[in-house]
Amino acid sequence: RYKPPATETNPALEDPTPDYMNLLGMVFSMCGLMLKLKWCAWIAVYCSFISFANSRSSEDTKQMMSSFMLSISAVVMSYLQNPQPMSPPW
Amino acid sequence: MKNFYILIAVLFIPWSFSLAKYDEFEDGDDIMEYDDNDFAEFEDVNEDAVTESPQRVITTEDDEEEATVELEGQDENQEDFDDADAQEGDTESEPYDDEEFEGYEEKPDASHSKNKDPITIVNVPAHLQNSWESYYMEILMVTGLLAYIMNYIIGKNKNNRLAHAWFNTHRELLESNFALVGDDGTNKEATSTGKLNQENEHIYNLWCSGRVCCEGMLIQLKFLKRQDLLNVLARMMRPASDQVQIKVTMNDEDMDTYVFAVGTRKALVRLQKEMQDLSEFCSDKPKSGAKYGLPDSLAILSEMGEVTEGMMDAKMIHFLTHYADKIESVQFSDQFSGPKLMQEEGQLTKLPETKKTLLFTFNVPGSGNTSPKDMESLLPLMSMVIYSIDKAKKFRLNREGKQKADKNRARVEENFLKLTHVQRQEAAQSRREEKKRAEKERIMNEEDPEKQRRLEEAALRREQKKLEKKQMKMKQIKVKAM
Repeated sequence: RYKPPATETNPALEDPTPDYMNLLGMVFSMCGLMLKLKWCAWIAVYCSFISFANSRSSEDTKQMMSSFMLSISAVVMSYLQNPQPMSPPW
Repeated sequence: MKNFYILIAVLFIPWSFSLAKYDEFEDGDDIMEYDDNDFAEFEDVNEDAVTESPQRVITTEDDEEEATVELEGQDENQEDFDDADAQEGDTESEPYDDEEFEGYEEKPDASHSKNKDPITIVNVPAHLQNSWESYYMEILMVTGLLAYIMNYIIGKNKNNRLAHAWFNTHRELLESNFALVGDDGTNKEATSTGKLNQENEHIYNLWCSGRVCCEGMLIQLKFLKRQDLLNVLARMMRPASDQVQIKVTMNDEDMDTYVFAVGTRKALVRLQKEMQDLSEFCSDKPKSGAKYGLPDSLAILSEMGEVTEGMMDAKMIHFLTHYADKIESVQFSDQFSGPKLMQEEGQLTKLPETKKTLLFTFNVPGSGNTSPKDMESLLPLMSMVIYSIDKAKKFRLNREGKQKADKNRARVEENFLKLTHVQRQEAAQSRREEKKRAEKERIMNEEDPEKQRRLEEAALRREQKKLEKKQMKMKQIKVKAM
């Protein structure tokens, strides 16, 4: 009879992971760029990937792509400024 | 004559002294410093490559003012300096010009001096080394990323296969019961797409409609997040299973007023806290289902005993006992409005909308390591769902039950109204003020002075009438009180 709503009515019920990861990714990539910390930039790349994996199909691809590009650029810039390899903290 | 010789002797002594000084000057530190300053420019150039300061030993021969310098460890300097530009036998003893120190040769004594001064090997910075080994952290990172991508692809495919396996096994049953199977809401007309709607990499939806007593049925296949590596790792600590959630929306006339739930004890406790309707209408704790022959793992939450009696007929009990391990929760409710909304007290002005629904949550067997074959075992559960729909339609409370149910609902509504009384008053007050303001604005905006006057008069009259009414009411109340 009816067409479905078939859509999420409660945004509060939905998994907040992709949004958190997006935000974290951006924060880490800004840290990596400003403070020239390589490990920050790498974590930003990881966050961007995790956010993509958990995203809903209705999620904006532009947002994903922009966060991904930002994290990649953070990594590249860190290495251009300081080509030395990362040293482990131990 | 004697005086003359004495004079010569006297003159000779200072001359010899001066010669001696020359020697001292030669051998003393001054020369070294002088030389160092002289060669300072060369030292700067070669700072990186050489760690030791070049040691130069200057030997001078007494008569020949040939300065020879020994340089150690400065292979590059050899090329810089010209070869023996030796000044032989120059009598330029006084000025120690640069010229004197131009002729530098590396003497074979260099090897001799090497034994005295150890050569230190400089550490070349890591990024200038031509080896990948120093970048091992980066290689680790990239490997991690590749592993994540691989897991994403594998997980996505597995979820996809599971979903389609489920759909293939259930397709027949669904199509026989429902006119419309699969609709994603994009078409204007309701046409059956016959496909699952993929919302996510781990959530698949299916909407079925077109059955006699229900508005529609939404099936959600909530798989585990196999595409996310973090989730996979977390699941190794805490095992979880895929879930199939079925939500049947009933027509208003097809279901009587009651709230009832069956499920695992843990699930029921959680639902009672979360769900609006269960928390309001089912006040007791979940009771064991052993009375009705259910296994111990299942418990019952119900609004009143009569509902339980009515619901637990033979077939239902049969279903529940046989598939107890797969059932997480079953909820029939006419006041279903979803989980409790976490709002502040002040914002609730209306009761949330309720719909008559039947909710089923099933666990897929395999506890995470499911294979497409496991989907077949869920088929009987779907039959149970269909049976429940028919049952809910047929089941009617008797008179007593109906009265109790109505009382309960009235009670809940009253409580809610009390809570929001203050807010509603404020809301009404603000609405009245808005109206007045709108009227005043209208009057002000009227350009025609005549119309303005008329409107003002009309507003005055209305206000007077209101005051009169209020006074009448007060009088009536006073009379009644007396």
